[in-house]
Amino acid sequence: RDWREGAVGRGPRGSRPRSAACVGQVVLPGDVLLLPAHPDEDGERLRLGAGAAPRGRLLCGPGLRRCGVGLLVTKCGLLRHRRAGGAAAGGAYWVDSQQKRYVPVKGDHVIGIVTAKAGDVFKLDVGGSEQASLSYLAFEGATKRNRPNVQVGDLVYGQFLVANKDMEPEMVCIDSSGRSSGMGIIGQDGFLFKVSLGLIRKLLAPKCEIIQELSQLYPFELVLGMNGRIWVKAKTVQQTLIIVNILEACEYMTAEQRKQALSL
Amino acid sequence: YMGDEEEEGRGAYVCEEKKDGTIHGSTYYLTQRSFMPCEDLLYGRMSFKGFNPEIEKLMIQMNSRCKEEIEVDDKMEADVSDEEMARRYETLVGTIGKKFLRKRDQRVLQDEDEDGNSNTRPSKKAKKKFLKPQD
Repeated sequence: RDWREGAVGRGPRGSRPRSAACVGQVVLPGDVLLLPAHPDEDGERLRLGAGAAPRGRLLCGPGLRRCGVGLLVTKCGLLRHRRAGGAAAGGAYWVDSQQKRYVPVKGDHVIGIVTAKAGDVFKLDVGGSEQASLSYLAFEGATKRNRPNVQVGDLVYGQFLVANKDMEPEMVCIDSSGRSSGMGIIGQDGFLFKVSLGLIRKLLAPKCEIIQELSQLYPFELVLGMNGRIWVKAKTVQQTLIIVNILEACEYMTAEQRKQALSL
Repeated sequence: YMGDEEEEGRGAYVCEEKKDGTIHGSTYYLTQRSFMPCEDLLYGRMSFKGFNPEIEKLMIQMNSRCKEEIEVDDKMEADVSDEEMARRYETLVGTIGKKFLRKRDQRVLQDEDEDGNSNTRPSKKAKKKFLKPQD
């Protein structure tokens, strides 16, 4: 099943009741979403949800933008909502959209390929419009004398420190406390391949069935980058390739088809 | 390019980008371009069935941090058992205590030791006996 599971078919715009909640439905760029308690003057806008106005801060996730009376949709996809609690205090709204091309976002963990060494800085290809830069001091335990052993063609797992449309993206392989916490050069062997961004998010969701089923097969190691790149390593080449094929194909398979494929 | 969520040049209020990637344009909305806080995604490095033990430890640590179920393992394994510790401490208090007695009190202590022969001797001997480390 593709990422738009459960998408409800829609009639023409005028026939939809105005007070219907549109969480979980398809939205298009240009739609204005009103908060529940806001008065609706001309009835052209769509409501976010019936009920009392949410308390606290509201998180506008990807695909949404703040506009005069509410939220403006900038990407087409399904509208999602999460209730208050934890990281999203007061609730979060975002648009679940599908794309293959990655745009660097601050804080995302990605897999980059080293393309060049320019003095003290490595240039990495992360799949965006520009190459990201990574300083040699941004590794755990690196000093001016103790440089990390990074060659052209190596794979690096790091996070973005700076990523906006005005500047070249910058990556680091340590977190704010100075520890690597799993980031850095990804070891030898293994297989790197590219999938769509929606599949990565599906795989990284808590309690993902695909990952749980794969983990029952045989021991392997997996690194998922938010830029659509996945690195897999298992004991033999054949096992690695089996996992790669399943991960590439599982985006468009139903649960039964997947179980059938895994049982073979 | 499409999908530019950053607010720029909105005359009414000033936008500041905070450290966690959120843009604080007004007191009510927080604009966030990343999917991580919205969907509570797990950590990207995974290892299964013991292929890479360090990554497996890291997985538990990172994912428990997200779900706010931190298992604090404060118990350290004791090298010396509690009973042995109590025994040693019992004898230790006496010997170190004597060190700080004044001269008069030390004399009194010695007289007391000499007086009670039969009764106190075995216990005195037990006290004075050097305990070998049992390793």
